[in-house]
Amino acid sequence: MLLVTNNEKVRTKYGPLCTVRFVDGGHNDVLKTVRDLVHKGHRLLTHPLAGSVKPNETPFRSVALSGEAGAVDLPSLELIEEAMSMCRQFPPRFHRGEDAPPDMRDDFAEIDFRLIDGALSLQ
Amino acid sequence: MSLRVVHYINQFFAQIGGEEKADYAPEYREGAVGPGLALNAAFKGEAEIVGTVICGDSYFNENLESAKATVLKMISDAKPDVVICGPAFNAGRYGVACGTVAAAVKDELNLPVVTGMYAENPGADMFKNKVSIIATKNSAAGMRDAAPKMASLALKLAKGEKIGASAEEGYMPNGLRVNFFEKERGSTRAVKMLLAKLAGKPYTTEFPMPSFDRVAPGPAITDLAHTTIALVTSGGIVPKGNPDHIESSSASKFGRYDISKFEDLTAEDHETAHGGYDPVYANEDPDRVLPLDVLRKMEKEGKIGGIYPYFFTTVGNGTAVASAKKFGEAIGKELRDAGIKAAILTST
Amino acid sequence: MRLELGEIHISDIKLGDCSKVENGVLYVNVEELRSLLLEDEDLASVEFEVVHPGESVRVIPVKDVIEPRCKVEGPGGMFPGVISKVNTVGSGKTHVLKGCAVVTTGKVVGFQEGIIDMSGEGAQYTPFSKLNNLVMICEPKEGIKQHEHEHAIRMAGLKAATYLGALGKDVTPDETHVYETSGVMSGKAQYPDLPRVGYVLMLQSQGLLHDTYVYGVDMKRSMPTILNPTETMDGAILSGNCVSACDKNTTYHHLNNPVIHDLLEQHGKTLNFVGVIITNENVYLADKERSSDWSTKLASFLELDGAIVSQEGFGNPDTDLIMNCKKLEAAGIKTVIITDEYAGRDGASQSLADADAAADAVVTGGNANMVIHLPKMDKVIGHPEAANIIAGGFDGALEADGSITAELQVITGATNEMGFNKLSAR
Repeated sequence: MLLVTNNEKVRTKYGPLCTVRFVDGGHNDVLKTVRDLVHKGHRLLTHPLAGSVKPNETPFRSVALSGEAGAVDLPSLELIEEAMSMCRQFPPRFHRGEDAPPDMRDDFAEIDFRLIDGALSLQ
Repeated sequence: MSLRVVHYINQFFAQIGGEEKADYAPEYREGAVGPGLALNAAFKGEAEIVGTVICGDSYFNENLESAKATVLKMISDAKPDVVICGPAFNAGRYGVACGTVAAAVKDELNLPVVTGMYAENPGADMFKNKVSIIATKNSAAGMRDAAPKMASLALKLAKGEKIGASAEEGYMPNGLRVNFFEKERGSTRAVKMLLAKLAGKPYTTEFPMPSFDRVAPGPAITDLAHTTIALVTSGGIVPKGNPDHIESSSASKFGRYDISKFEDLTAEDHETAHGGYDPVYANEDPDRVLPLDVLRKMEKEGKIGGIYPYFFTTVGNGTAVASAKKFGEAIGKELRDAGIKAAILTST
Repeated sequence: MRLELGEIHISDIKLGDCSKVENGVLYVNVEELRSLLLEDEDLASVEFEVVHPGESVRVIPVKDVIEPRCKVEGPGGMFPGVISKVNTVGSGKTHVLKGCAVVTTGKVVGFQEGIIDMSGEGAQYTPFSKLNNLVMICEPKEGIKQHEHEHAIRMAGLKAATYLGALGKDVTPDETHVYETSGVMSGKAQYPDLPRVGYVLMLQSQGLLHDTYVYGVDMKRSMPTILNPTETMDGAILSGNCVSACDKNTTYHHLNNPVIHDLLEQHGKTLNFVGVIITNENVYLADKERSSDWSTKLASFLELDGAIVSQEGFGNPDTDLIMNCKKLEAAGIKTVIITDEYAGRDGASQSLADADAAADAVVTGGNANMVIHLPKMDKVIGHPEAANIIAGGFDGALEADGSITAELQVITGATNEMGFNKLSAR
């Protein structure tokens, strides 16, 4: 499995468990990295817009993809493109985690961590 | 004091004449004419038509720029608070004229304006996202129904009042979602919609899905070296001089031209008819839009089996989806009948 | 299954030293209720306030809204698997304190959402402005984690609602409704000519602060399953969701699910309401495929002719919604979906994160991005500074004069996707 994240909390837990591609950037930078990986043949395992915290609110995002790359998976491509076009509609409130006030930043990071952790721990 | 309204109508509704008078030049008359009387009644004293601009449909569409300028000047000289065009019902050229005048009144005179027409009038698709168009029936029998809606929306716009959702005011959905309160809660509406759907009765979805009109891709071509390829473009490439007069926008036709004798398209023999983009590079080398030169090279190298002797072309700029669909079907039919398995479509 | 729902109309709530329901007034012994709630060692304090329709009061941030109910006859008790034993509910007799609710507030996370205004512009968008509400401000002990805090507030709300509901046990209801549903076979025999209709109820299940519990089971760990419609009226489903105020389904919504009520209303008249299929909205894509396959499979098992699908939330759940709709339609089941929209402040953007031509019958709860102006209120209960950081409450949302400029999505229940409200959009 390949985990793309800009959330330190996710890197700390999953770094030793799988391949983590850490993105030094904001929410939409993670989606861009994910899109590039989808074009290289990785398949999406989790929804790129997970959570009801609006994508332009949270500065953190973690997305799981298949570790192996094959032919481009069209449903994955469609999903990530739709997610990105949705994000283009709404300007992000915090470009990067460090732009958010500290208590919000921790909560955003915790929610993002819990969402991906919840999804992966069930598998 | 009641608000001043100027009304735009065509020669038919001014009772000047039918098709034989469609070349009637713009004329200004004081007061209300024809359907203006119904609108005046619907204003209930809050507004009054002070003048009517009349123009023949052929005249307007054939002398677009000059007719538009004349009509706009007549409207502006009458110093209206709000302008009403039509309604055009299902009359196509009248609908386009109403939409064109309304859009110009809004953009150039900065005045509130309302028009009206039938949903399938070609003017509706062209202008519903630009100006407020009241949806009417398909014939003048719908005037009684349309007049109060047009009058009410015109008054609201003139007074700067809040405009409700399309379903409340009667205008055509214009791509902007507006909230409003329905009479019944959502679950009740859902149950009613489901019962209608189950019974095969008509119902109206509250959120039409964006129409992607997705076409499933055909199977991949495995033997390119023996496949003849056709060239199709909406980039407006035509033989020099545009022999069939394909319009620079809102094209009503497509062209079919022989390229069997050409190795390469040049400024000497081809050009673009397309408006709305800078034509310099396309005119300099039409291969930039219709890539014949590289295909000829691939043909020589044996990478492709051949090139269909004719290319098909139209102008994408503002062309109605319905027209584009028709062109596509006709082009597709010819290619299929000719046994062509592959085509390259280029846009601009 | 047959459930008799006895409604006791509550016109006011009064705080004092005795708990009872008398002449339509709910009296609450504050100390008794407080000490019951503080048995939870994660809670440091609980304060109570009563708010009435029309008052100049704002509650922020709202976590959950719960209607007090009590099981009078029949198996099981309220909120089975959580408050009561896990027995199957939905039959016998239940009393409802109608016209009032418990509203829990507490700042679980820094960006929490949910406003209930009892008067003014905002009041018209939330159904809870029409109720007499007992607001509970729950403060946690220091150092507890977000998920422990969420759990503590959730449980406090459920306990309080159960405590209050029990006060109506021996009161004669003002109004009684009887809901009777048929079995799969008997319904077919009874209504051979009516279309067979089901309800696919999508439950938020993405993770922390996004969870829903059914008989105590975390719905993200469950496969889609079938409920009898009346089970929801006894609290079989409850909300553990703190996020997305406008389109989260509170426990009040689950108890009063409008799709279930409207389908029961038509049951035996224009349609045969066969049952409720509950499904989830997980993050893992394979879960989505599996769950939508299963909800459709169950619908086919029930031989449905038609289905209504309701959603909770936005973004990720749009994918589940469209998957459910596509698969149901492909199975020949005529489908209507209920959703809401995020079309931008000007209404010009794409409303949903996913779309498909199969979704040709859509009911919308309105555009959640619409900007609204909430006037200053004389009293604010909870954490007014939360207005600045809640979703849709962009920076500067809380004006110096106490008024708020924000998107509609800050209002609790404003664009509910069960179709609870009259708000719509075109």
